[in-house]
Amino acid sequence: MTDERLLIEVRDLVKVYDGDTRALDGISFGVASGEVFGFLGPNGAGKTTTIRILATLLRATEGTARVAGFDVATDPHEVRKRLGVAMQTPTLDAFSTGRETLELAGRLHRMSAAEVRRRTDELLELMGLGSVAGKLTGTYSGGMKRRLDLASALVHRPQVLILDEPTEGLDPQSRTALWEELERISAAGTTMLLTTHYMEEADRLSSRLAIVDNGQIVVEGEPAELKRCVGGDSVLLQLESPDGDGHLAEVRRLLADIVDADAVTHHPAGVALAVPNAGAAIPELLRRLDGNGLRITGLQMSEPNLDDVFMKYTGRRIREEAADQPIILGF
Amino acid sequence: MTAFAYETYYLGLRTARRFLRVPANWTSIIFFPLIQLLVFSQLYQDIVQLPSFGQSGDYLDYLAPGQVAFAAFLAVAWSAYGLLVEYRSGYVDKLLAAPIGRFSILAGEMVPIFFQAAAMAAVVLVVSLVLGAPLETGVGGFLLILGLAGAFGIAFAGASFIPALLTKSEQATNAFSLLLFPIMFMSTAFVPEALMPDWMQAVNDWNPISYVIEAMRDLMTTGYDWTAIGNALLSLAILGVILQCATLWAFRRLAR
Repeated sequence: MTDERLLIEVRDLVKVYDGDTRALDGISFGVASGEVFGFLGPNGAGKTTTIRILATLLRATEGTARVAGFDVATDPHEVRKRLGVAMQTPTLDAFSTGRETLELAGRLHRMSAAEVRRRTDELLELMGLGSVAGKLTGTYSGGMKRRLDLASALVHRPQVLILDEPTEGLDPQSRTALWEELERISAAGTTMLLTTHYMEEADRLSSRLAIVDNGQIVVEGEPAELKRCVGGDSVLLQLESPDGDGHLAEVRRLLADIVDADAVTHHPAGVALAVPNAGAAIPELLRRLDGNGLRITGLQMSEPNLDDVFMKYTGRRIREEAADQPIILGF
Repeated sequence: MTAFAYETYYLGLRTARRFLRVPANWTSIIFFPLIQLLVFSQLYQDIVQLPSFGQSGDYLDYLAPGQVAFAAFLAVAWSAYGLLVEYRSGYVDKLLAAPIGRFSILAGEMVPIFFQAAAMAAVVLVVSLVLGAPLETGVGGFLLILGLAGAFGIAFAGASFIPALLTKSEQATNAFSLLLFPIMFMSTAFVPEALMPDWMQAVNDWNPISYVIEAMRDLMTTGYDWTAIGNALLSLAILGVILQCATLWAFRRLAR
Protein backbone atom coordinates (compact mmCIF):
# COMPACT_ATOMS: atom_id res chain seq x y z
CA MET A 1 0.00 0.00 0.00
CA THR A 2 1.52 3.29 -1.04
CA ASP A 3 -0.08 6.67 -0.98
CA GLU A 4 0.88 8.66 -4.06
CA ARG A 5 0.49 12.04 -2.43
CA LEU A 6 3.13 11.19 0.13
CA LEU A 7 6.64 12.24 -0.87
CA ILE A 8 8.13 10.55 2.16
CA GLU A 9 6.57 7.38 3.40
CA VAL A 10 8.16 5.46 6.25
CA ARG A 11 6.72 2.22 7.57
CA ASP A 12 7.75 0.28 10.67
CA LEU A 13 11.38 1.26 10.33
CA VAL A 14 13.72 -0.64 12.65
CA LYS A 15 17.47 -0.18 12.84
CA VAL A 16 19.61 -2.31 15.10
CA TYR A 17 23.30 -1.47 15.36
CA ASP A 18 25.86 -4.09 16.30
CA GLY A 19 23.19 -6.61 17.16
CA ASP A 20 21.83 -4.94 20.27
CA THR A 21 21.52 -1.15 20.02
CA ARG A 22 17.98 -0.45 18.82
CA ALA A 23 18.34 3.00 17.29
CA LEU A 24 14.95 2.83 15.59
CA ASP A 25 12.17 0.82 17.11
CA GLY A 26 9.35 0.81 14.59
CA ILE A 27 8.96 4.32 13.18
CA SER A 28 6.17 5.17 10.74
CA PHE A 29 5.20 8.51 9.28
CA GLY A 30 4.29 10.19 6.02
CA VAL A 31 5.06 13.61 4.61
CA ALA A 32 2.72 15.02 1.97
CA SER A 33 3.78 17.18 -0.94
CA GLY A 34 4.59 20.74 0.15
CA GLU A 35 4.65 19.93 3.84
CA VAL A 36 7.42 20.77 6.28
CA PHE A 37 7.65 17.88 8.66
CA GLY A 38 9.60 18.37 11.86
CA PHE A 39 11.37 15.55 13.64
CA LEU A 40 11.85 16.72 17.20
CA GLY A 41 13.78 14.86 19.82
CA PRO A 42 16.83 14.82 22.02
CA ASN A 43 20.24 13.71 20.74
CA GLY A 44 20.31 9.96 20.28
CA ALA A 45 16.55 9.68 19.72
CA GLY A 46 17.00 8.18 16.25
CA LYS A 47 16.59 11.29 14.10
CA THR A 48 19.89 11.03 12.25
CA THR A 49 19.49 7.28 11.76
CA THR A 50 16.11 7.89 10.08
CA ILE A 51 17.64 10.55 7.86
CA ARG A 52 20.57 8.37 6.86
CA ILE A 53 18.18 5.62 5.83
CA LEU A 54 16.10 8.07 3.77
CA ALA A 55 19.27 9.46 2.17
CA THR A 56 20.20 5.89 1.05
CA LEU A 57 23.32 5.95 3.23
CA LEU A 58 22.17 3.28 5.66
CA ARG A 59 20.10 0.15 5.30
CA ALA A 60 17.18 -0.41 7.63
CA THR A 61 17.11 -3.65 9.61
CA GLU A 62 13.35 -3.91 9.05
CA GLY A 63 10.62 -1.85 7.49
CA THR A 64 10.38 0.22 4.31
CA ALA A 65 10.97 3.81 3.35
CA ARG A 66 9.97 5.53 0.14
CA VAL A 67 11.05 8.94 -1.10
CA ALA A 68 9.27 10.60 -4.03
CA GLY A 69 7.62 7.26 -4.76
CA PHE A 70 10.81 5.17 -4.85
CA ASP A 71 11.95 2.62 -2.31
CA VAL A 72 15.26 3.66 -0.77
CA ALA A 73 16.46 0.06 -0.55
CA THR A 74 15.57 -1.15 -4.04
CA ASP A 75 15.70 2.10 -6.08
CA PRO A 76 18.37 4.20 -4.38
CA HIS A 77 19.51 5.86 -7.61
CA GLU A 78 16.03 7.22 -8.36
CA VAL A 79 15.77 8.47 -4.77
CA ARG A 80 19.14 10.22 -4.99
CA LYS A 81 18.09 12.10 -8.12
CA ARG A 82 15.09 13.62 -6.37
CA LEU A 83 16.51 14.26 -2.94
CA GLY A 84 18.58 17.07 -1.46
CA VAL A 85 20.28 16.40 1.85
CA ALA A 86 22.15 18.69 4.24
CA MET A 87 23.74 16.89 7.13
CA GLN A 88 24.20 18.01 10.71
CA THR A 89 27.64 19.46 10.11
CA PRO A 90 28.17 21.12 6.73
CA THR A 91 30.11 18.73 4.53
CA LEU A 92 32.13 20.85 2.15
CA ASP A 93 35.37 20.40 0.28
CA ALA A 94 37.60 22.98 1.99
CA PHE A 95 39.72 23.36 -1.15
CA SER A 96 36.88 24.21 -3.51
CA THR A 97 35.37 27.66 -3.81
CA GLY A 98 31.69 28.28 -3.15
CA ARG A 99 31.02 28.48 -6.86
CA GLU A 100 32.95 25.27 -7.63
CA THR A 101 31.02 23.47 -4.88
CA LEU A 102 27.66 24.34 -6.43
CA GLU A 103 28.87 23.68 -9.97
CA LEU A 104 30.09 20.19 -9.05
CA ALA A 105 26.77 19.41 -7.35
CA GLY A 106 24.92 20.51 -10.48
CA ARG A 107 27.22 18.53 -12.76
CA LEU A 108 26.80 15.35 -10.72
CA HIS A 109 23.04 15.81 -11.17
CA ARG A 110 23.59 15.96 -14.93
CA MET A 111 22.68 19.60 -15.40
CA SER A 112 24.02 21.32 -18.54
CA ALA A 113 26.81 23.88 -18.32
CA ALA A 114 24.48 26.81 -18.97
CA GLU A 115 21.91 25.52 -16.49
CA VAL A 116 24.59 24.98 -13.84
CA ARG A 117 25.91 28.51 -14.30
CA ARG A 118 22.45 30.08 -14.08
CA ARG A 119 21.43 28.07 -11.04
CA THR A 120 24.77 28.68 -9.27
CA ASP A 121 24.47 32.45 -9.73
CA GLU A 122 20.90 32.35 -8.53
CA LEU A 123 21.68 30.36 -5.38
CA LEU A 124 24.81 32.37 -4.50
CA GLU A 125 22.70 35.50 -4.74
CA LEU A 126 19.82 34.02 -2.76
CA MET A 127 22.08 32.81 0.04
CA GLY A 128 24.02 36.06 0.21
CA LEU A 129 27.26 34.37 -0.83
CA GLY A 130 27.88 36.34 -4.01
CA SER A 131 30.83 38.26 -2.58
CA VAL A 132 32.65 35.13 -1.37
CA ALA A 133 31.78 32.87 -4.32
CA GLY A 134 35.42 32.79 -5.44
CA LYS A 135 36.89 32.07 -2.01
CA LEU A 136 37.74 28.60 -0.72
CA THR A 137 35.01 27.21 1.56
CA GLY A 138 37.67 26.48 4.17
CA THR A 139 37.80 30.22 4.83
CA TYR A 140 34.02 30.57 5.35
CA SER A 141 32.35 31.31 8.69
CA GLY A 142 29.99 28.75 10.25
CA GLY A 143 26.91 30.54 8.94
CA MET A 144 28.33 30.83 5.43
CA LYS A 145 29.19 27.13 5.38
CA ARG A 146 25.63 26.27 6.41
CA ARG A 147 24.14 28.40 3.69
CA LEU A 148 26.48 26.99 1.03
CA ASP A 149 25.76 23.45 2.17
CA LEU A 150 22.05 24.16 1.94
CA ALA A 151 22.54 25.72 -1.49
CA SER A 152 24.44 22.65 -2.71
CA ALA A 153 21.48 20.50 -1.62
CA LEU A 154 19.16 22.74 -3.65
CA VAL A 155 21.12 23.05 -6.92
CA HIS A 156 19.14 20.34 -8.72
CA ARG A 157 15.77 21.60 -7.43
CA PRO A 158 15.04 18.48 -5.38
CA GLN A 159 11.46 17.37 -4.85
CA VAL A 160 12.31 16.54 -1.27
CA LEU A 161 14.75 18.33 0.99
CA ILE A 162 16.06 16.64 4.11
CA LEU A 163 17.86 18.72 6.71
CA ASP A 164 19.53 17.27 9.77
CA GLU A 165 19.76 19.88 12.55
CA PRO A 166 19.98 22.73 10.03
CA THR A 167 20.87 25.44 12.57
CA GLU A 168 22.94 23.44 15.05
CA GLY A 169 25.92 25.46 16.24
CA LEU A 170 24.82 28.75 14.68
CA ASP A 171 24.65 32.05 16.52
CA PRO A 172 21.09 33.40 17.06
CA GLN A 173 21.38 35.91 14.23
CA SER A 174 22.47 33.36 11.62
CA ARG A 175 19.81 31.00 12.91
CA THR A 176 17.03 33.51 12.34
CA ALA A 177 18.41 34.29 8.88
CA LEU A 178 18.47 30.60 7.98
CA TRP A 179 14.92 30.14 9.24
CA GLU A 180 13.76 32.88 6.93
CA GLU A 181 15.62 31.16 4.10
CA LEU A 182 13.95 27.83 4.85
CA GLU A 183 10.55 29.51 5.01
CA ARG A 184 11.16 30.92 1.54
CA ILE A 185 12.20 27.51 0.21
CA SER A 186 9.12 25.94 1.73
CA ALA A 187 6.87 28.67 0.32
CA ALA A 188 8.28 27.81 -3.11
CA GLY A 189 6.74 24.36 -2.71
CA THR A 190 9.65 22.13 -1.64
CA THR A 191 8.69 19.28 0.65
CA MET A 192 10.92 19.22 3.69
CA LEU A 193 11.84 16.92 6.50
CA LEU A 194 13.91 18.57 9.18
CA THR A 195 15.22 17.28 12.45
CA THR A 196 15.91 19.51 15.37
CA HIS A 197 16.21 19.52 19.10
CA TYR A 198 15.27 23.18 19.28
CA MET A 199 11.63 23.61 20.27
CA GLU A 200 11.44 27.07 18.77
CA GLU A 201 12.75 25.81 15.44
CA ALA A 202 10.24 22.99 15.21
CA ASP A 203 7.43 25.34 16.21
CA ARG A 204 8.31 28.00 13.72
CA LEU A 205 9.16 25.95 10.65
CA SER A 206 7.12 22.78 10.68
CA SER A 207 3.53 22.42 9.57
CA ARG A 208 3.44 19.02 11.24
CA LEU A 209 5.84 17.34 13.60
CA ALA A 210 6.65 14.12 15.35
CA ILE A 211 8.29 13.90 18.73
CA VAL A 212 10.78 11.04 18.78
CA ASP A 213 12.33 9.47 21.80
CA ASN A 214 14.27 6.23 22.13
CA GLY A 215 13.71 5.28 18.51
CA GLN A 216 9.94 5.68 18.61
CA ILE A 217 7.48 8.39 17.66
CA VAL A 218 5.70 9.30 20.87
CA VAL A 219 3.26 11.75 19.35
CA GLU A 220 2.58 13.34 15.98
CA GLY A 221 0.48 16.32 14.86
CA GLU A 222 0.36 20.00 14.06
CA PRO A 223 2.31 22.13 16.55
CA ALA A 224 -0.82 24.09 17.60
CA GLU A 225 -2.85 20.92 18.01
CA LEU A 226 -0.12 19.29 20.11
CA LYS A 227 0.07 22.31 22.34
CA ARG A 228 -3.70 22.25 22.80
CA CYS A 229 -3.44 18.65 23.99
CA VAL A 230 -1.26 19.75 26.88
CA GLY A 231 -4.15 21.79 28.24
CA GLY A 232 -5.02 25.42 27.91
CA ASP A 233 -3.13 28.59 28.53
CA SER A 234 -2.21 29.72 31.98
CA VAL A 235 -2.93 33.04 33.62
CA LEU A 236 -1.04 34.22 36.67
CA LEU A 237 -2.70 36.82 38.88
CA GLN A 238 0.04 38.57 40.84
CA LEU A 239 -1.29 39.79 44.16
CA GLU A 240 -0.03 42.48 46.51
CA SER A 241 0.12 40.09 49.44
CA PRO A 242 0.14 36.58 48.07
CA ASP A 243 -0.44 34.85 51.38
CA GLY A 244 -2.29 31.76 50.22
CA ASP A 245 -5.58 30.04 50.96
CA GLY A 246 -7.74 33.06 51.64
CA HIS A 247 -7.18 34.48 48.18
CA LEU A 248 -7.44 31.10 46.56
CA ALA A 249 -10.92 30.52 48.03
CA GLU A 250 -11.97 34.04 47.08
CA VAL A 251 -10.88 33.63 43.46
CA ARG A 252 -12.58 30.25 43.24
CA ARG A 253 -15.81 31.72 44.57
CA LEU A 254 -15.79 34.68 42.21
CA LEU A 255 -15.09 32.58 39.15
CA ALA A 256 -17.13 29.54 40.18
CA ASP A 257 -19.33 29.47 37.05
CA ILE A 258 -16.57 29.99 34.50
CA VAL A 259 -13.44 28.23 35.85
CA ASP A 260 -13.26 24.84 37.60
CA ALA A 261 -12.01 24.92 41.16
CA ASP A 262 -9.22 22.49 40.16
CA ALA A 263 -7.92 24.96 37.60
CA VAL A 264 -7.25 27.57 40.26
CA THR A 265 -4.01 26.86 42.09
CA HIS A 266 -1.69 28.55 44.47
CA HIS A 267 1.42 30.24 43.11
CA PRO A 268 4.21 31.96 45.07
CA ALA A 269 3.34 35.26 43.41
CA GLY A 270 -0.41 34.91 43.73
CA VAL A 271 -2.92 32.65 42.05
CA ALA A 272 -2.54 30.64 38.86
CA LEU A 273 -5.45 29.83 36.57
CA ALA A 274 -5.61 27.29 33.76
CA VAL A 275 -8.01 28.43 31.03
CA PRO A 276 -8.62 27.16 27.50
CA ASN A 277 -7.95 30.53 25.87
CA ALA A 278 -6.33 33.21 27.97
CA GLY A 279 -6.77 36.06 25.50
CA ALA A 280 -10.55 35.64 25.40
CA ALA A 281 -10.96 34.97 29.11
CA ILE A 282 -9.04 37.89 30.56
CA PRO A 283 -11.60 40.73 30.14
CA GLU A 284 -14.24 38.68 31.95
CA LEU A 285 -11.77 37.62 34.66
CA LEU A 286 -10.79 41.19 35.33
CA ARG A 287 -14.40 42.40 35.48
CA ARG A 288 -15.21 39.83 38.14
CA LEU A 289 -12.05 40.11 40.18
CA ASP A 290 -11.62 43.87 40.10
CA GLY A 291 -12.84 45.80 43.13
CA ASN A 292 -13.26 42.67 45.23
CA GLY A 293 -10.43 43.44 47.55
CA LEU A 294 -7.95 41.15 45.82
CA ARG A 295 -5.52 43.98 44.92
CA ILE A 296 -4.14 42.55 41.68
CA THR A 297 -0.72 44.05 40.92
CA GLY A 298 0.05 42.27 37.70
CA LEU A 299 -1.13 39.76 35.18
CA GLN A 300 0.86 37.21 33.18
CA MET A 301 -0.43 34.86 30.56
CA SER A 302 1.45 32.13 28.79
CA GLU A 303 0.66 29.60 26.12
CA PRO A 304 1.95 26.04 26.41
CA ASN A 305 5.06 25.42 24.32
CA LEU A 306 6.45 22.32 22.67
CA ASP A 307 8.65 21.77 25.66
CA ASP A 308 5.47 21.19 27.66
CA VAL A 309 4.32 18.78 24.97
CA PHE A 310 7.61 16.93 25.14
CA MET A 311 7.37 16.86 28.92
CA LYS A 312 3.87 15.47 28.80
CA TYR A 313 4.72 12.59 26.47
CA THR A 314 8.19 11.63 27.65
CA GLY A 315 8.15 12.79 31.26
CA ARG A 316 11.39 14.68 30.64
CA ARG A 317 12.50 18.12 29.53
CA ILE A 318 14.28 18.19 26.20
CA ARG A 319 17.83 19.24 26.85
CA GLU A 320 20.71 20.19 24.71
CA GLU A 321 22.93 17.72 26.45
CA ALA A 322 25.73 16.31 24.41
CA ALA A 323 24.77 12.73 23.69
CA ASP A 324 26.92 12.70 20.58
CA GLN A 325 28.52 9.55 19.32
CA PRO A 326 31.98 8.95 20.77
CA ILE A 327 34.78 9.69 18.35
CA ILE A 328 36.94 6.72 17.46
CA LEU A 329 40.57 7.75 17.72
CA GLY A 330 43.71 6.01 16.58
CA PHE A 331 43.99 2.44 15.57
CA MET B 1 30.47 3.58 -19.19
CA THR B 2 30.02 7.16 -20.39
CA ALA B 3 28.36 7.95 -17.06
CA PHE B 4 31.42 6.52 -15.31
CA ALA B 5 33.79 8.63 -17.44
CA TYR B 6 31.65 11.75 -16.95
CA GLU B 7 31.52 11.38 -13.19
CA THR B 8 35.21 10.47 -12.93
CA TYR B 9 36.09 13.58 -14.94
CA TYR B 10 34.25 16.01 -12.67
CA LEU B 11 35.24 14.27 -9.43
CA GLY B 12 38.82 13.99 -10.67
CA LEU B 13 39.03 17.71 -11.38
CA ARG B 14 38.05 18.34 -7.79
CA THR B 15 40.63 15.87 -6.48
CA ALA B 16 43.34 17.51 -8.57
CA ARG B 17 42.38 20.94 -7.22
CA ARG B 18 42.59 19.59 -3.69
CA PHE B 19 46.15 18.44 -4.42
CA LEU B 20 47.31 21.57 -6.20
CA ARG B 21 45.82 24.10 -3.80
CA VAL B 22 48.05 23.00 -0.94
CA PRO B 23 51.48 23.97 -2.28
CA ALA B 24 53.20 21.91 0.43
CA ASN B 25 51.82 18.81 -1.34
CA TRP B 26 53.81 19.31 -4.50
CA THR B 27 56.76 21.31 -3.21
CA SER B 28 57.75 18.58 -0.77
CA ILE B 29 57.26 15.84 -3.36
CA ILE B 30 59.51 17.74 -5.76
CA PHE B 31 62.16 18.88 -3.29
CA PHE B 32 62.74 15.57 -1.49
CA PRO B 33 64.10 13.70 -4.54
CA LEU B 34 65.94 16.80 -5.74
CA ILE B 35 67.71 17.11 -2.39
CA GLN B 36 68.62 13.41 -2.59
CA LEU B 37 69.89 13.96 -6.11
CA LEU B 38 72.10 16.89 -5.08
CA VAL B 39 73.34 15.42 -1.81
CA PHE B 40 73.98 11.82 -2.83
CA SER B 41 75.46 12.66 -6.25
CA GLN B 42 78.20 14.54 -4.38
CA LEU B 43 78.43 12.49 -1.20
CA TYR B 44 78.84 9.19 -3.09
CA GLN B 45 80.37 10.49 -6.32
CA ASP B 46 83.25 8.01 -6.05
CA ILE B 47 80.91 5.01 -5.89
CA VAL B 48 81.15 4.72 -9.69
CA GLN B 49 84.79 3.69 -9.33
CA LEU B 50 83.85 0.44 -7.59
CA PRO B 51 84.68 -2.36 -10.03
CA SER B 52 81.27 -4.01 -9.69
CA PHE B 53 79.32 -0.74 -10.25
CA GLY B 54 79.57 -1.64 -13.88
CA GLN B 55 78.56 1.70 -15.40
CA SER B 56 80.64 4.61 -16.54
CA GLY B 57 79.94 8.30 -16.22
CA ASP B 58 78.81 10.52 -13.39
CA TYR B 59 76.99 9.09 -10.38
CA LEU B 60 74.42 11.86 -11.01
CA ASP B 61 73.60 10.22 -14.35
CA TYR B 62 72.93 6.95 -12.54
CA LEU B 63 70.98 8.60 -9.71
CA ALA B 64 68.70 10.88 -11.78
CA PRO B 65 66.24 8.26 -13.11
CA GLY B 66 65.96 6.81 -9.59
CA GLN B 67 64.94 10.22 -8.26
CA VAL B 68 62.43 10.73 -11.08
CA ALA B 69 60.83 7.48 -9.93
CA PHE B 70 61.16 8.62 -6.32
CA ALA B 71 59.02 11.68 -7.14
CA ALA B 72 56.32 9.39 -8.56
CA PHE B 73 56.57 7.22 -5.46
CA LEU B 74 56.12 10.22 -3.14
CA ALA B 75 53.13 11.38 -5.17
CA VAL B 76 51.29 8.19 -4.24
CA ALA B 77 52.67 7.28 -0.82
CA TRP B 78 50.07 9.48 0.97
CA SER B 79 47.52 9.63 -1.82
CA ALA B 80 44.60 8.18 0.20
CA TYR B 81 44.90 10.83 2.88
CA GLY B 82 42.49 13.21 1.17
CA LEU B 83 39.79 10.56 0.80
CA LEU B 84 40.19 9.60 4.43
CA VAL B 85 39.82 13.17 5.68
CA GLU B 86 36.70 13.52 3.55
CA TYR B 87 35.32 10.24 4.81
CA ARG B 88 35.62 11.61 8.34
CA SER B 89 34.18 15.01 7.51
CA GLY B 90 31.14 13.38 5.91
CA TYR B 91 31.96 14.61 2.40
CA VAL B 92 32.16 11.02 1.13
CA ASP B 93 28.61 10.51 2.44
CA LYS B 94 27.53 13.49 0.43
CA LEU B 95 29.01 11.90 -2.70
CA LEU B 96 27.41 8.56 -1.82
CA ALA B 97 24.03 10.30 -1.56
CA ALA B 98 24.48 11.83 -5.04
CA PRO B 99 23.10 10.01 -8.09
CA ILE B 100 26.48 8.70 -9.22
CA GLY B 101 28.20 5.32 -9.36
CA ARG B 102 30.03 4.18 -6.22
CA PHE B 103 33.19 3.43 -8.16
CA SER B 104 33.26 6.81 -9.85
CA ILE B 105 34.15 8.18 -6.42
CA LEU B 106 37.19 5.89 -6.23
CA ALA B 107 38.13 6.54 -9.86
CA GLY B 108 37.89 10.27 -9.18
CA GLU B 109 40.65 9.75 -6.62
CA MET B 110 42.75 7.38 -8.74
CA VAL B 111 42.86 8.99 -12.17
CA PRO B 112 44.39 12.29 -10.97
CA ILE B 113 47.16 10.24 -9.34
CA PHE B 114 48.38 9.35 -12.83
CA PHE B 115 48.77 13.03 -13.67
CA GLN B 116 50.16 13.99 -10.28
CA ALA B 117 52.85 11.30 -10.43
CA ALA B 118 53.71 12.17 -14.03
CA ALA B 119 53.86 15.91 -13.28
CA MET B 120 56.03 15.47 -10.21
CA ALA B 121 58.37 13.18 -12.17
CA ALA B 122 58.49 15.72 -15.00
CA VAL B 123 59.74 18.50 -12.73
CA VAL B 124 62.45 16.30 -11.23
CA LEU B 125 63.44 15.08 -14.71
CA VAL B 126 63.75 18.64 -16.05
CA VAL B 127 65.86 19.76 -13.09
CA SER B 128 68.06 16.63 -13.51
CA LEU B 129 68.65 17.59 -17.14
CA VAL B 130 69.57 21.11 -16.10
CA LEU B 131 72.06 19.60 -13.63
CA GLY B 132 73.66 17.66 -16.46
CA ALA B 133 71.88 14.30 -16.61
CA PRO B 134 71.56 12.90 -20.15
CA LEU B 135 68.36 12.12 -22.08
CA GLU B 136 69.43 10.05 -25.06
CA THR B 137 65.92 9.45 -26.39
CA GLY B 138 64.80 13.10 -26.47
CA VAL B 139 61.14 14.14 -26.41
CA GLY B 140 59.84 10.63 -27.09
CA GLY B 141 61.78 9.25 -24.15
CA PHE B 142 60.68 12.18 -21.99
CA LEU B 143 57.01 11.35 -22.63
CA LEU B 144 57.62 7.63 -22.11
CA ILE B 145 59.27 8.31 -18.76
CA LEU B 146 56.29 10.43 -17.66
CA GLY B 147 53.92 7.69 -18.82
CA LEU B 148 55.82 5.13 -16.77
CA ALA B 149 55.76 7.45 -13.74
CA GLY B 150 51.99 7.95 -14.07
CA ALA B 151 51.35 4.25 -14.59
CA PHE B 152 53.43 3.49 -11.52
CA GLY B 153 51.27 6.01 -9.62
CA ILE B 154 48.04 4.19 -10.46
CA ALA B 155 49.53 0.72 -9.97
CA PHE B 156 51.01 1.58 -6.60
CA ALA B 157 48.15 3.74 -5.22
CA GLY B 158 46.67 0.76 -3.42
CA ALA B 159 49.63 0.79 -1.04
CA SER B 160 48.14 3.94 0.43
CA PHE B 161 44.43 3.27 -0.18
CA ILE B 162 44.22 -0.25 1.26
CA PRO B 163 45.49 0.65 4.77
CA ALA B 164 43.49 3.89 4.64
CA LEU B 165 40.22 2.18 3.76
CA LEU B 166 40.75 -0.67 6.20
CA THR B 167 41.86 1.36 9.23
CA LYS B 168 39.89 4.56 8.47
CA SER B 169 42.57 6.30 10.51
CA GLU B 170 44.71 9.15 9.20
CA GLN B 171 47.36 8.52 11.83
CA ALA B 172 47.64 4.82 11.05
CA THR B 173 47.79 5.50 7.31
CA ASN B 174 50.42 8.19 7.75
CA ALA B 175 52.56 6.01 9.93
CA PHE B 176 52.20 3.09 7.53
CA SER B 177 53.39 5.21 4.59
CA LEU B 178 56.84 5.34 6.20
CA LEU B 179 57.09 1.59 5.81
CA LEU B 180 56.82 2.01 2.05
CA PHE B 181 60.15 3.81 1.89
CA PRO B 182 62.34 0.67 2.10
CA ILE B 183 60.80 -0.34 -1.24
CA MET B 184 62.60 2.64 -2.74
CA PHE B 185 65.82 2.23 -0.78
CA MET B 186 66.11 -1.46 -1.67
CA SER B 187 65.52 -0.78 -5.38
CA THR B 188 68.12 0.08 -7.99
CA ALA B 189 67.40 3.79 -7.51
CA PHE B 190 70.70 4.32 -5.67
CA VAL B 191 73.01 1.41 -6.53
CA PRO B 192 73.06 -1.27 -9.23
CA GLU B 193 71.92 -4.77 -8.32
CA ALA B 194 75.54 -6.03 -8.57
CA LEU B 195 76.46 -4.03 -5.45
CA MET B 196 73.64 -5.57 -3.38
CA PRO B 197 74.16 -8.57 -1.10
CA ASP B 198 72.64 -11.80 -2.41
CA TRP B 199 69.48 -11.69 -0.35
CA MET B 200 68.77 -8.12 -1.43
CA GLN B 201 69.30 -9.07 -5.04
CA ALA B 202 66.70 -11.79 -4.61
CA VAL B 203 64.26 -9.25 -3.13
CA ASN B 204 65.06 -6.76 -5.85
CA ASP B 205 64.04 -9.22 -8.56
CA TRP B 206 60.51 -8.89 -7.16
CA ASN B 207 60.57 -5.13 -6.73
CA PRO B 208 58.40 -3.58 -9.47
CA ILE B 209 59.85 -0.12 -8.93
CA SER B 210 63.30 -1.41 -9.95
CA TYR B 211 61.93 -2.48 -13.34
CA VAL B 212 60.43 0.99 -13.79
CA ILE B 213 63.71 2.64 -12.79
CA GLU B 214 65.73 0.43 -15.15
CA ALA B 215 63.47 1.30 -18.08
CA MET B 216 63.73 5.01 -17.23
CA ARG B 217 67.52 4.77 -16.89
CA ASP B 218 67.89 3.15 -20.27
CA LEU B 219 65.73 5.85 -21.85
CA MET B 220 67.94 8.48 -20.26
CA THR B 221 71.42 7.03 -20.67
CA THR B 222 71.40 4.59 -23.60
CA GLY B 223 68.28 4.56 -25.78
CA TYR B 224 65.03 2.71 -26.35
CA ASP B 225 65.32 -0.69 -24.68
CA TRP B 226 61.97 -2.29 -25.43
CA THR B 227 62.73 -5.33 -23.28
CA ALA B 228 63.27 -3.10 -20.25
CA ILE B 229 60.14 -1.08 -21.04
CA GLY B 230 58.17 -4.30 -21.53
CA ASN B 231 59.40 -5.66 -18.19
CA ALA B 232 58.44 -2.41 -16.50
CA LEU B 233 54.93 -2.45 -17.95
CA LEU B 234 54.46 -6.11 -17.08
CA SER B 235 55.54 -5.61 -13.48
CA LEU B 236 53.27 -2.57 -13.20
CA ALA B 237 50.36 -4.54 -14.64
CA ILE B 238 50.82 -7.34 -12.08
CA LEU B 239 51.26 -4.87 -9.20
CA GLY B 240 48.34 -2.77 -10.41
CA VAL B 241 45.90 -5.64 -10.76
CA ILE B 242 46.69 -7.01 -7.29
CA LEU B 243 46.60 -3.68 -5.46
CA GLN B 244 43.62 -2.24 -7.35
CA CYS B 245 41.54 -5.38 -6.74
CA ALA B 246 42.31 -5.16 -3.03
CA THR B 247 41.50 -1.45 -3.07
CA LEU B 248 38.15 -2.11 -4.74
CA TRP B 249 37.35 -4.73 -2.14
CA ALA B 250 38.28 -2.35 0.71
CA PHE B 251 36.30 0.49 -0.88
CA ARG B 252 33.19 -1.68 -1.18
CA ARG B 253 33.36 -2.30 2.54
CA LEU B 254 33.49 1.44 3.14
CA ALA B 255 30.79 2.41 0.66
CA ARG B 256 28.59 -0.67 1.33
